[in-house]
Amino acid sequence: MQLTYERRKQLTYRFMMTPALLLMFIFIVFPAFYAFSLSLTNEALLGFAAKESSFVGLSNFERLFADPLFWNSLKVTLLFVIGSAVIGQFLLGFLSAVLLLRPIRFKAMFNAMICLPNAVPEMVVGFLWISMYASGEYGTLNRIVAWFGVDPQQWLYSFPLMAIIIVNTWRGVAFAMILLTSGLSSIPKDIYEAARVDGASDRQIFWRITIPMLMPTIFLYMFVSTVTTFAIFGLVYTLSRGGPANSTEILGIYIYNQSFTAFQLGYGASVAVVSLVVSMLIGVFYVRMFKVEV
Amino acid sequence: MAKIELIDIKKQYGDTKIVKGVTFTVEDGEFAVVVGPSGCGKSTLLRMIAGLEDITSGELRIDGKVANQVSPDKRGIAMVFQSYALYPHLTVAENIGFALTLKKHDKAEVAQRVKEAAKMLQLEDLLQRKPAELSGGQRQRVAIGRAIVKRPKVILFDEPLSNLDAKLRVQMRAELQRLHKEFGSTIVYVTHDQVEAMTMAEKIVVLNQGHISQLGKPMDLYQQPQNTFVAEFIGIPKMNLLDGEIQKNETNMFVCSNGLRIPLAANYQWTGKGIKLGIRPEHIDLADNDQWQYDVKIIERLGIETYLHLQRGKEDVIVVRLEGDHDLDIDKVSLHFPSELCRLFNEEGQVLLPNVI
Amino acid sequence: MSIASNAITTNGTSQKMTKSQFKTYLTLILISLYCMVPFIWVVLASVDPKASQFLKIPESVSMDHYWNLFANQSGLRWILNSIVINVSATIIALVFAGFGGYAISRTKAWWKLPLLYAIILVRIVPPPALIVPVYKVMLTLNDWVNALINAVFTDVATQQTMSRAFSFVDGYLGLILILAAMQLPLAIWIMKTFFDAIPIDYEESAAIDGATQWQTVRKVLIPLAMPGFAAAGLFAFINAWGDFLMPLMFTSSPELQTLPLGLFRAFLRVDAIDYGFLTALAVIYTLPAVIAFSFARKFLTQTFSGGVKG
Repeated sequence: MQLTYERRKQLTYRFMMTPALLLMFIFIVFPAFYAFSLSLTNEALLGFAAKESSFVGLSNFERLFADPLFWNSLKVTLLFVIGSAVIGQFLLGFLSAVLLLRPIRFKAMFNAMICLPNAVPEMVVGFLWISMYASGEYGTLNRIVAWFGVDPQQWLYSFPLMAIIIVNTWRGVAFAMILLTSGLSSIPKDIYEAARVDGASDRQIFWRITIPMLMPTIFLYMFVSTVTTFAIFGLVYTLSRGGPANSTEILGIYIYNQSFTAFQLGYGASVAVVSLVVSMLIGVFYVRMFKVEV
Repeated sequence: MAKIELIDIKKQYGDTKIVKGVTFTVEDGEFAVVVGPSGCGKSTLLRMIAGLEDITSGELRIDGKVANQVSPDKRGIAMVFQSYALYPHLTVAENIGFALTLKKHDKAEVAQRVKEAAKMLQLEDLLQRKPAELSGGQRQRVAIGRAIVKRPKVILFDEPLSNLDAKLRVQMRAELQRLHKEFGSTIVYVTHDQVEAMTMAEKIVVLNQGHISQLGKPMDLYQQPQNTFVAEFIGIPKMNLLDGEIQKNETNMFVCSNGLRIPLAANYQWTGKGIKLGIRPEHIDLADNDQWQYDVKIIERLGIETYLHLQRGKEDVIVVRLEGDHDLDIDKVSLHFPSELCRLFNEEGQVLLPNVI
Repeated sequence: MSIASNAITTNGTSQKMTKSQFKTYLTLILISLYCMVPFIWVVLASVDPKASQFLKIPESVSMDHYWNLFANQSGLRWILNSIVINVSATIIALVFAGFGGYAISRTKAWWKLPLLYAIILVRIVPPPALIVPVYKVMLTLNDWVNALINAVFTDVATQQTMSRAFSFVDGYLGLILILAAMQLPLAIWIMKTFFDAIPIDYEESAAIDGATQWQTVRKVLIPLAMPGFAAAGLFAFINAWGDFLMPLMFTSSPELQTLPLGLFRAFLRVDAIDYGFLTALAVIYTLPAVIAFSFARKFLTQTFSGGVKG
């Protein structure tokens, strides 16, 4: 029988969807589920278990929840996400967005400068900041603080977590700024004018109009930046590899170190499961909470 | 040229029935307008005629041949879309000639036919422009040009005027009628605007919730609406509908509504309780007596005509149209309802026909 | 706003800066300094014959480090590897996302919504969580491919060349495919949003005009969706180009090294770090990303807000 136009289209759509689905399935979806099953084994790269791994039930998770290094990693990740994505990037990005919407000169130049860090590959970010944080009196940051009478510091050893938070903040200001700028400029001018006519002060306008109307954009920003920061690996790995003494060992690095430095694949997979579950929960929460339009 | 027959056409997506059995015929060379509120299934109906959507059940014949399974390009149709679907990367000439170039026509012939179509639509000076450089009306004409260049047997229009401003719409209505006369194609035209239907159609199909509400010539629909839906849908301002009932004495029948009592000119076969009395605003006259007085709520003076919005108690507002300008300074009026112009509908909204005496 | 800004630009010199304007500029200058300072070192060191880890004004300026990149075998090799791998990954992602985004935008089938939600979730899977299972998947695929290669080709030299090209671990194909897969969720979103904005009328009009599927794609859809392809391609390229984890996991031979990994490993050799070479390479590595980002910027908001709208 000859296919009608509508029927033919439906078949074409399925056919067109296949290659992308296949690729995502093989490299993302299947591995994600496979992580669950691996986490129930004692799979390893070295030693007895490397030859023949066996099912060990939930013992990886028992070990995990008793492992202070895991809790440390979770804490470090949380502080890293809150410090850089939720506070640092957001505040500086919001400030830049508000200021750059004012009638000022050199707007394009400020804009370009703030955006530049966002375009830099992770590895180069690490490279640049290692020089910034270099110890000794010739280190760039040490020279800057010397103007304020501060003695040279070993930044990556004395303040490791703060150091990576500052780097990630540096990298993400632009994203927050761009997103919030578009949110701010999509608030209709009429509303501000109406509020002025009603006699609202600048402060009242900011808290009662700008912030509530910007809420959807702020939530979108928080969601995207939280999940991206949660998934960071290369930036911290090139800067500190999780050290010194696990003080910057965010989850991604903890997984890598457990799997490919300690060669305990099963245990690494159980950490991966925790990380997957957390990010899926954030995703589902966001989608449900804000009724994402698709 | 072609005749289009739809026989009990139905369309269903999953459990949702969009078109619930539609039967009508568009004669060869006829200008038919399918009109109805949004969501009534009119666009789906048009797209089934075009072959863009499958027909769930029923039969579609074009030129006497069953066309249910025929692919869109083999149906001998052309279609003008609501968004015009002009390719922004092609010039006006390339847009008009698009269908012909696909079929690998000779270049000179394509150019010739594009030129003819352009001439017919007064687009000759714009042939090298891109759609973005055209005004709304010009884009509309290019879209029509793209349809007529194929010399189709049937042209389908899907709300083609809805993106134009009011003034252009009036112009394009006249233009479309002229083209139809010149070109003679069968036209099926879908719109939600009853004015377009009234002004252009030779046949109107009023569609409501997937059913045909009424089918016929524009003036028949206006004068003899078969149900309250058509009565209210056709004509602006819409027909007044008053709740009431029928009373009889030995010699006469009356229709009564909220104290109003109008003797009827004819006999009605009627059983049941409530009734709706329909009368068009222009058919109501002001009366000199002070029976059935109405409060005047609003007076709209347009110069050529005057509208009175009247109300009595909690009854619905009645609109009365008066010829010419009236500088009325009154807050109460009495009305006269000519009984031969009243239409009666039963509780289900179906028209009651007078018995021929 | 334009009136106010005119006032400032025309009378800027005569008018005294107000206190609030001063604060605005000061804040913006501080933020910009924070953003720019780290770059000063890499740029200066790359033209300084005596480059070191520390920021200093070069005594003399030369482009020698840059010329050396192309003379130096490994530097050139890394650049070429990066280009080949990332451009291939971007093209694959773009083609697949073009098809996928189109299909998911147009279909009315039952799988539309579930698939869209699934893609949001796939998009937020953190790559580090996948390293162990992905590593095992890649090993398995690698065994299959190499068995196939060894079965088809008997000549050892050919076997080695084919293995280099098509291996999943320490080969080009594996890295290309996994990088492409990682970019797909976002790329599909972007394409879907762009196709959503193209009325289906275009394709239906073409269908009535008798265009074949292929003609519709080539003459109608691709030209109309060009901005979408540009946006999706730019983001896929930027992300793949900057990725560090996948090359770290799946390349070991020096000839396969890409820029991020080459830079990283050279940097680890504490005893003999050639800062001039590395900074020049870092600048070269950063440039394509910056250029791509400057074009992609204007798509950034519509990409993200298109994907997950509040």
